[in-house]
Amino acid sequence: MPLLPIIMPQLGESIAEATIVRAAFSVGDHVEVDTDLLEVETNKAVMGVTAPCSGLLKELTATIGESYAVGATLGYLEISEEDAERLGLNDAPPPPVDKPRKKQSSGEQPSKSAKKTVEPTVRGLPVPAHVGGASFLSPRMKARMAELGLHAADLAGVAGSGAGGRVTIDDLERFLQDLERNTISPASSMRVAVADAMRRSWTRPLATVVLPVQLDVLLNHRKQQSVKAGPALYALRALSIALSEMPATAGRLIGDRVIHPRSVDIGFAVEAEDGVLVPVIRHADQFPLVDLVERYNRLVELARARRLPGSDTGGSIATITNYGVFGLTMATPIPLPEQTLLLGMGAGRVTPFWNAESRTFIPVTEAQFTLSFDHRVLDGGAAGRLLQRVAQLLNTPEKL
Amino acid sequence: MSITYLEAIRLAQHQALADDPRVFIYGQDVGVFGGAFKATKNLAKEFPGRVLDSPISEDAMMGLAIGAAVEGMRPIVEMQFADFSTCGFNQIVNQAATLYYRTGTPCPLVVRLPSGGTPGGGPFHSQSMEAIYAHYPGLVVMTPATVEDVYTMLLEAVALDDPVIFCEHKFLYYHLKADKLPVEALPFGKARITRPGRDATVVAYSAMLHEALAAAEELSQDGYDIEVVDLRSVRPIDTDTILASVARTGRLLVVGEAWPWGGVAAEVIARVAAEGFGLLDAPPQRLNAKETPVPYHPALWGTHRPTATAVVNSLRHLLEL
Repeated sequence: MPLLPIIMPQLGESIAEATIVRAAFSVGDHVEVDTDLLEVETNKAVMGVTAPCSGLLKELTATIGESYAVGATLGYLEISEEDAERLGLNDAPPPPVDKPRKKQSSGEQPSKSAKKTVEPTVRGLPVPAHVGGASFLSPRMKARMAELGLHAADLAGVAGSGAGGRVTIDDLERFLQDLERNTISPASSMRVAVADAMRRSWTRPLATVVLPVQLDVLLNHRKQQSVKAGPALYALRALSIALSEMPATAGRLIGDRVIHPRSVDIGFAVEAEDGVLVPVIRHADQFPLVDLVERYNRLVELARARRLPGSDTGGSIATITNYGVFGLTMATPIPLPEQTLLLGMGAGRVTPFWNAESRTFIPVTEAQFTLSFDHRVLDGGAAGRLLQRVAQLLNTPEKL
Repeated sequence: MSITYLEAIRLAQHQALADDPRVFIYGQDVGVFGGAFKATKNLAKEFPGRVLDSPISEDAMMGLAIGAAVEGMRPIVEMQFADFSTCGFNQIVNQAATLYYRTGTPCPLVVRLPSGGTPGGGPFHSQSMEAIYAHYPGLVVMTPATVEDVYTMLLEAVALDDPVIFCEHKFLYYHLKADKLPVEALPFGKARITRPGRDATVVAYSAMLHEALAAAEELSQDGYDIEVVDLRSVRPIDTDTILASVARTGRLLVVGEAWPWGGVAAEVIARVAAEGFGLLDAPPQRLNAKETPVPYHPALWGTHRPTATAVVNSLRHLLEL
């Protein structure tokens, strides 16, 4: 009877290997076509390896718990001559007799306790084709770019003509020569500094969640105050309280450790000349809103005058940005590279709100609040809870 | 008139004997017999008492030569094969190489090593010893690849006050010919850019220069412009010329007929990696003999040593990195 090899299927576009979790049948069992023979696990999902044909499970060469590459032989089905004919098995070269090649070289280290080397925590990372390609910069390219003060991001628009699609020195020099035909002006040091910070921040997986927040209570509260705080300061104070309740959300992930903030110092973005400055209110969680107003206003003035002392900037754990002042209702701003969180405020607008009690639309002032975050540190759920808590605090402004 | 590489060696020795009365030649059967490869043919007749047969002891040959050099002579020692120089190794590396450092007395001698493989040479008559001697401070190691260089560099070697290991390649003895002897030479210690190019640099020396040049010629059919650098001497090594070439091409292949382990190719790559990392577009590559003793059978020998085809393959790999 002909033998049909059971092959590790292509389980997804970028999946290179999978780990055998469970065998659904034993050797000698009869299996029907399309039933799951093996359960395999990739870093994305658990899937089944199905029988390509009905037959007798003759041999299982794969071991439970081992990883096998896509295309590896996992065992053999004994099938009928007619099926073999139909599948074109007789035309194909005979199945390999040797044992399938294991991805993990357990053969060299037979006992588990003998394993001294560090095992990767995530197995079966996808291996896309031509990994060395477009993103690879040779030492020569790096040296030339350093000489010119260029960064990889500056070359984003250059199509590489080198091996594997990489950008060569010739590509670079041609690109730079082409630029000379344009009007060129020097970037301010402020611009360069912002560019540097944003580029570094962008190396992380950043995400943004959005929540509409009603501001009527806040605005009413503000009207009644003699010393008036801006909406951004309300948000800053609310965020500082929320973060003092769940400080790990503002932590940073360095290697496999979460670094918790030392104190709840919150920055806020101030547009200044050709860029953005971020003054910081230290220990914002420990002072009532009214005590912060004067500090806040002074910092804004200093920032606009570009006279911000070093002690009043840097070291904050999160930042507020009120892009609503530009008339924007929603944005996905980028947190500072050393921060995990950025709270954004859209412009407040009067919108109809469905009041279920009175079964009428009532006008409310609403703004979109966004929380941009480093997805390595927290997920949408945690970000959402933090943002909800900020909204909740903003609706009890007298407690801020 | 056409002069072979071997004839150029003979003529250089003739010239040295004629120019300087302190020069004499010492080796096994170098006298009446004219040397194992006839590199001293007729010299004993022309320079009576200055071309002397030695006993069959490389140790004794070197000991005598070092003593003579200390006393102000300029001996040229001929080893029958480079492989046999190991019998005189102690004298060369412990005495000759260290003498000036220890005593302030120079040791001006030349040891001629008929080096490298030929078909059927086998493990004891094919070795390339340049890396071993280049390891020792105090020794100059020359590896001429052309008829012109072997002539001018041998005269330079005799004129130098340091002990010189002169690696002449046996495979080039009869194959390589020139129309006339040169009157000018590149300064001592300078590498030569034999073939200019811009896509990759091949650094070679001795017989491998010709394999590299043939490979460069073949790749020019595909539009590649390969630069070939002839080291000429492996110690001192002309790092500047190598770095300048790599600065132009961004890619480096070093070809050596000796074994790879701790060899000249490894040394060149180490220098480029350390001093010219920012010049590289691809990891530097080396191509050497296979890591076994040199085989007897000509067919095996042809696959053991780097050939033009092997250089082409290595270059194609390098150009795609």
